[in-house]
Amino acid sequence: MMEQTYPYKPQAGAVKLTMLLGGVVFLLMMVFGLALRATQGGLFEIDPAIFYQIMTAHGAGMVGSAALTGAAIMWYFVGRYVNLNAAIYWVFLGLFLIGVALILGSIFYGEFGGGWTFLFPLPAISGGAWDVEAAVAFCFGYLFIGVGFLLIYLDMGYRIAINYDGFLGGLGWRFAWSGNQELAPPPTIIAAASVIVFNSIGIVFGAMVLVASIINLLFPSFVVDPLMAKNAIYFFGHVFINATIYMAVVAVYEIIPEYTGKPWKTTRVFALAWVAIVIFVQAVYFHHLLQDAVMPDWALALGQIVSYASGIPLMAVTTFSLCVYVKGSGLKWDLTSSLLVLGVAGWTLGSIPATIDGMVAVNRLMHNTQWVPGHFHTYLLLGEVAMAFGFSAWLVRGKEQGIRSGLERFAFLSYALGGAGFVLVFLWSGASSIPRRWAIHLESWQFQDRIGTFFAAVAILGSLLIVSRYTLRLMRKGEE
Amino acid sequence: MQSTIFVITLVLMAVVGWLFWRAVSAVNGKPAGTNINKRRTQLIWGMVIAGVLISVGSMREWPYAGASEKPVVVNVVGGQWWWEIDKESLPLHTEIEFRVTSEDVNHGMGIFNEDLQLLAQVQGMPGYVNKLYYTFDKPGTYQVLCLEFCGVAHHDMINEFEVVAAE
Ligand code: HEM
Ligand SMILES: [Cu+2]
Repeated sequence: MMEQTYPYKPQAGAVKLTMLLGGVVFLLMMVFGLALRATQGGLFEIDPAIFYQIMTAHGAGMVGSAALTGAAIMWYFVGRYVNLNAAIYWVFLGLFLIGVALILGSIFYGEFGGGWTFLFPLPAISGGAWDVEAAVAFCFGYLFIGVGFLLIYLDMGYRIAINYDGFLGGLGWRFAWSGNQELAPPPTIIAAASVIVFNSIGIVFGAMVLVASIINLLFPSFVVDPLMAKNAIYFFGHVFINATIYMAVVAVYEIIPEYTGKPWKTTRVFALAWVAIVIFVQAVYFHHLLQDAVMPDWALALGQIVSYASGIPLMAVTTFSLCVYVKGSGLKWDLTSSLLVLGVAGWTLGSIPATIDGMVAVNRLMHNTQWVPGHFHTYLLLGEVAMAFGFSAWLVRGKEQGIRSGLERFAFLSYALGGAGFVLVFLWSGASSIPRRWAIHLESWQFQDRIGTFFAAVAILGSLLIVSRYTLRLMRKGEE
Repeated sequence: MQSTIFVITLVLMAVVGWLFWRAVSAVNGKPAGTNINKRRTQLIWGMVIAGVLISVGSMREWPYAGASEKPVVVNVVGGQWWWEIDKESLPLHTEIEFRVTSEDVNHGMGIFNEDLQLLAQVQGMPGYVNKLYYTFDKPGTYQVLCLEFCGVAHHDMINEFEVVAAE
């Protein structure tokens, strides 16, 4: 439909490989998730120690794959506007894989089951379930991955600064301030620069608490304040997981215009929304600490207020703009466009139960119940992952838009509807006061667990078809 | 309370989902008109105003502070994987101040009624004492379940206490 020219050509090979890797790991981790859900439902029996190891692998593996695919999407499209260095990308990927190997080893060889959040001092005090070495390996795995991210962020940030009259230019803050359209960078650049700012800060805090944890593991006389560690971990965790979606949404900015024929414009509202995002994403993590009564009152109030405020740039800018661009555009539905639009829907709808849980009065009743996996699976499974799947489908697209076979339709519906059922059952379970992260469920909870398991299986079937289609097309293209 | 929260959430999700669906399914309908930016501005201001009202309204009651001068103090210690509660029976209709801490890792003290409905919770953290205020309106047996992942037997961390009518 629309032919637009860009200064540079992105490096597709590395990105295609990354999306293949991400897709396969997503699938594998979904099967892990299914095993967890089925165990809770009593359909399956695994020893609790193994359950928590699988839970740790599922959490770390999913967050890692979301971050990897998000970064690949962002790197690909930033490569349209600035000349990026492929060597640095390969180093990033290499560091990522070393990190994955360390994490997998620590879990399945070292029997580490401390959860992806490694909440201090649990890694050091396992009650005999795993050794210090396993916990150290786990922390080092994260550090490798973090260093890789800092590297590509540094490279992208540097190139953006050169091309857009300094980093503030790339962030769009000058444009937001002055309204001078000549200073407006493309949406992708604004998004990338913003993510680089907040996620680098997040990773640095994560690295500090990881290093402190490692020293404490090796030299227990080195004490770490548990409240400080908790703040740093949730700051890092919140920022990092949110960054995965903010990176992946670049695919929507870049691909949807090919379907609507209208470029995604940098308006002042758009730039201001990203200014707000940079601030809100960092200030909001206090909502993870609403049950820590020793926290100062202002921090807890801020947690609730900023949770709500974060919804404004999302709903009134990203979601609203997508609706305006798509309505009456003649957009043709195929796997790519359906998945990208689903991704924005999942993100938007998932933010509703999340914001409600961010309220002081609600959090007391919902915190650490299955309400929480209920909301984050909505914006991850039906948000980030949908965008990543949509981007992958676009990478191996045919010549014509709007072609959707019966099988593709089935795959999409089974993924979307299975996923919707799966997350709604989690929310229902949360409202039924069922705790999260419990290996063994009471009998009265298992009816819901089984329905959740069924929906999960349906969603996984759809995902299997989507990832297989990508893989087959990739191989066929490779042969041409 | 939880079911009210659940219903409100579902209604909000349904409304937003329906508006979204109406826009994106109209690919062959009429494109958005020129007043669309005005609409967006209205939406932003609407969300801001609603946010102020919701924030003020919902935080007027601040659960982190106790209401009575002399609450009954109950000390709770969590450890891998047990709860120690220094009183077995607590008075009805009296404000209780739970002082919760931990001997090892983070735990979460969740108080559940006989229907296993969660009533309130607070974290138990090593080196800190978190206070939770609660007034029981019904006599009976209440359970304490762990609500912060604390290792392989996290799901076994269950204890109980009684609430009885004060003489
Ligand atoms: C159909 C696919 C999936 C299934 C069946 C599944 C299942 C589960 C289950 C049963 C849990 C534990 C719930 C509990 O705490 O009781 C869980 C936790 C989690 N899931 Fe998934 N999940 C799926 C997809 C995803 C995706 C796509 C992501 C992210 C991209 C994800 C990220 C997480 C995270 C971060 C946790 C928290 C782990 C923890 O509490 O330590 N999941 N999942
Ligand atoms: Cu626990």
